Amino acid sequence: MSEDGFLSKVLGKANLNRRSFLKWSAAIGGSNVLVGGIPEGFKHAVPLAYAEEKGRWIPASCWSDCGSKGFNKAYVVNGLPVRQGTDDTIKDKPNRPQLRACAKGRSQRNHLLSASRLKYPMKRKHWEPGGGNKELRGKDEWVRISWDEALDLMAKEMLRIKEKHGNKAFLCVRPGEPTERLMSEFGGYVNGWGEHSGGTYSAAWHMGWGIPFSELENDRLDLENTELFVLWASNPAWSRLGMPMYDMSRYKKNGAKVIVVDPYYSATAQAVADEWIPCRPATDTAMLLGMAYVLINEDDPQNDPLIDWDFLNKYTVGFDKDHMPKGADPKDNFMDYVLGTYDGQPKTPQWASEICGTPPEQIRYLARRIATTNKVSFRMSPAPARVHNADSLPQVVMTLGAMTGHMGKRGEMFGHDWGHSFLAEGYPLLTGGWMLTPTSYVNGKKFENPLASGFKGYFGAFWRTDRFEDEDVWLINYNELWHALNVGEYTAGKNKKRKVDVKMIYHVYNNKMNQFPGTMECIDVHRKVDFVVTQNLFLNPTAQYSDLVLPVQSHWERYGYVRMGYRNQLLWTSQVMKPYFESQSDSWISREVGKRLGLDPDEIIHCSFKQNVFDHVANCKVIKDDASGYEPLVTITNQDMKEFGFEGKPQKGRISVKEFKEKGIYHIERKKGDQFEHIPYKAFIDNPEKNPRNTPSGKFEIHCQSYADYITGCGWDEKSPLAEYVPPLEGYESTFKDWKNKIKGEYPLQQYDLHVLRRVHSTLDNTPWLQEAFLQSFWMNPIDAEKRGILDRDTILIRSKYGKVLRNVTITQLIMPGVVAIGQGAWVNIDEETGIDRGGCSNVLHGSVSTGQGHMGLNSCNVQIEKWKGEPLKYDHQLPPLVPIKEA
Amino acid sequence: MAKQLAFYFDASTCIDCKTCQIACKDKNNNPLGLNYRRVVNYGAGSWIPDAVHKELFIPTNFFAYNVSSACMHCEEPICVEVCPTGAMHKRDDGIVLVDDSKCVGCRLCQQACPYGAPQYNEAKGVMTKCDLCADLLEIGQETACVASCPQRALEVGELADLRKKYGSINAIEPLPKAIYTKPSIVITPHPRSQYSGKGTGKILNPMEV
Repeated sequence: MSEDGFLSKVLGKANLNRRSFLKWSAAIGGSNVLVGGIPEGFKHAVPLAYAEEKGRWIPASCWSDCGSKGFNKAYVVNGLPVRQGTDDTIKDKPNRPQLRACAKGRSQRNHLLSASRLKYPMKRKHWEPGGGNKELRGKDEWVRISWDEALDLMAKEMLRIKEKHGNKAFLCVRPGEPTERLMSEFGGYVNGWGEHSGGTYSAAWHMGWGIPFSELENDRLDLENTELFVLWASNPAWSRLGMPMYDMSRYKKNGAKVIVVDPYYSATAQAVADEWIPCRPATDTAMLLGMAYVLINEDDPQNDPLIDWDFLNKYTVGFDKDHMPKGADPKDNFMDYVLGTYDGQPKTPQWASEICGTPPEQIRYLARRIATTNKVSFRMSPAPARVHNADSLPQVVMTLGAMTGHMGKRGEMFGHDWGHSFLAEGYPLLTGGWMLTPTSYVNGKKFENPLASGFKGYFGAFWRTDRFEDEDVWLINYNELWHALNVGEYTAGKNKKRKVDVKMIYHVYNNKMNQFPGTMECIDVHRKVDFVVTQNLFLNPTAQYSDLVLPVQSHWERYGYVRMGYRNQLLWTSQVMKPYFESQSDSWISREVGKRLGLDPDEIIHCSFKQNVFDHVANCKVIKDDASGYEPLVTITNQDMKEFGFEGKPQKGRISVKEFKEKGIYHIERKKGDQFEHIPYKAFIDNPEKNPRNTPSGKFEIHCQSYADYITGCGWDEKSPLAEYVPPLEGYESTFKDWKNKIKGEYPLQQYDLHVLRRVHSTLDNTPWLQEAFLQSFWMNPIDAEKRGILDRDTILIRSKYGKVLRNVTITQLIMPGVVAIGQGAWVNIDEETGIDRGGCSNVLHGSVSTGQGHMGLNSCNVQIEKWKGEPLKYDHQLPPLVPIKEA
Repeated sequence: MAKQLAFYFDASTCIDCKTCQIACKDKNNNPLGLNYRRVVNYGAGSWIPDAVHKELFIPTNFFAYNVSSACMHCEEPICVEVCPTGAMHKRDDGIVLVDDSKCVGCRLCQQACPYGAPQYNEAKGVMTKCDLCADLLEIGQETACVASCPQRALEVGELADLRKKYGSINAIEPLPKAIYTKPSIVITPHPRSQYSGKGTGKILNPMEV
């Protein structure tokens, strides 16, 4: 390549320093250099490498639990990922779009090649068997130890605890399959239960409407038929970034109108909303009831038809006293509740407005607009359902859908947009792989936690509260978990409290200290128990308060990961780089701990990780062309098995295993109205007698006794079969000490959580590129700020009943007065002197409290805010990375 | 041979997700504090007490949209004009580039450019900027930002072709007016975009830019 060549002219005189990158320490040097994962002097190696073909592209995983999925790949030169890319395996078009990654996925190499990753097993300096000085958890020093020492001491302590206290002394909350297998083989463990993402929707839809998770939405091509979208607290620009937001923009460009209902003028509202209607958090049920009142009150079948009575009479029970389910009190009908016939309080728009902050005229307008527009898709995110006592919310949503008849038809839907790509749009067209666990074993031995007997997997505990009092069921609801462990007693079903005494907490694949409500109580619990172990990539909050920390490999360092994308993509990403320093896989750790516990490791993990990946690949299915069933996706020959080195049976599919591994993604093309169209309930709407709902009445249950019984059975609240407005714990009303005269109380502001683009829950929070791109924010309206003498970027103190947090405020018009918002997932960082969190963790402000169906109530929180008079807080991108252990 | 390569940007679909910013940063291995491409969120709005329901505040005159910009590879690049060493130069295909070997890091281009495109790299002691991923274009690939955008809001092409396809708007707030340097860009405005010089809003994310 000559000096005068094109590349030289473009690139300038680059310092071509061809060092070897096989040693991590060479690649990860000082603070600035490690950020890009590649020394400055090698800047132009990438384009040169293209020209000289020195590296190769490897499909790379982005495994975070965000509301979306994108495809990433890494360009690897000498074992080091030096650049990333996204899906270019196909030509991009709406019927088969490229699965483009987002800023988070594209920052993975900056995330993983980091000085703040865990490199070695570490022990807390002042730990001893039994705990030693437990008060020092969270502030102790770390000592590097060998794997043997770590595993030996862990097993020894586990055996001691088991002998003295039994298996009910072990707490592992959703640790992922490798650890579930270990702990089940060891005799069992206490786990948690509850709904994280879906709020009150999951039980409500299951019981009232008889619909499984994966069938809530119309497919993305069918939504091209929609004329009016009502996006209620739905912000796909942040929460479903990628294909769903791209689709929303497409629908808008094709002529659909969009109304956004949200306390915040969100990025989605900014981009696509024709109208934005603010509504206070935790008050949505009231506003929806106000809308229902308008329709009931103003409906005139002759001159002003607003209600689809045919739909109600044919497909639902419980709307009015003449259409009740068998055995129900005719007074318990929705219409009379809304009209206030028996409780004396008509749920008028004026009544609703006092609660939700939306003018009554606008409530009336929205109701009538929905009722009189032909093809309406009402899509609510689960956020309003993540509110204490919001059990009636989904019932009102469903009822409004039935009243307006916008269900089970092309271009029409009333429901919520589910939070995972593999559950969006309807039944999958491609299946395979694993989700939400480090790995799952296709052909492994069937196992069960002896302390959760009869429950299978994550969804097993749902809707079975009748079993919670059984002696072999030890499941604690996520929301009361930390409080329960603090006081030694949890709710085990209706009217039943059970004593619990956990001695060891084993954190795997989670950050529950940060992400469950009640972080302050959680810290107290962590300073009480005998032994805390965390297995993770980083020294995250749970790790910081542990005795023993074990470094794990990411999906970039393991053989592969098979994972569903949306309905019509399947991903198989591969190993990008060698395991980071001494990190190991969760499966290896489970086997090694198991050995030392006297168990047979082959009973825990039966095969190699690589073999398991191939088992998954062989198991991948694609829908048949006539939609009648599924068939194998991947063609595997005996030659393939020999070359790759795995066992199995040859099979015929649509793509060779070689090509699938190389490309990393398989797409299915669709056409609007094709055989894969998915319209929820369409079969029921077309023929309700032949295709009844999976409910006791066979219809949509606006009055739902089984739902009421379930919630009452959970043990916290009594629920009527009707949708009723219950002022939530820490909603709007609770900001007043005198509601009638509107005198504010001790915590006068409403706080709620936003999912922000700089991280996925608490993952990726420590990624410099993302810290720079997305400010760590706390949003407050100027009206509220002015009252308190607060200016933009001031450090403020946020106080709730449960804890205190410092933030630098962003004063913005974009949020409703009286409402403040925080990006959820920031890592807690308690200042030991003051007890104040400097990290911005929203769960410091939330209490460990369960209501209703034991769902997360994270959007119901009351706070007071004042200007901080102490040392101003630095923004986190100004702080050095959190390095777990200083190299000698 | 191209005459004037240019970006196309669709402000009606950009959501400030900063994927373009990260993709560019990744491809160029830029350090913290240096991003060739940045996204600005621009808008306004206020809360006025309702005339009838005096306890309620009504959102009034709200609008907001985003502008993603890197370098405009201007037809009359002022950065080239002011450069004392000739390091900053414009190629025949319209791309404006820094010749590292000539740049002395005086930063006059940075002061002159109304778009903030040339940025000083402290470690290297020279100016750096978006080079339209000339090396990728050379081997038939798209620029990092264009290929990355999940909203498909960016394109690269011949300026004349982009104008035929999308029109000739080349300045919306908060970008400066086009008369200064004749930026080679075509923009599809957001429904509430404001023409440069006629803005009533402000940059809402100043610390991120």
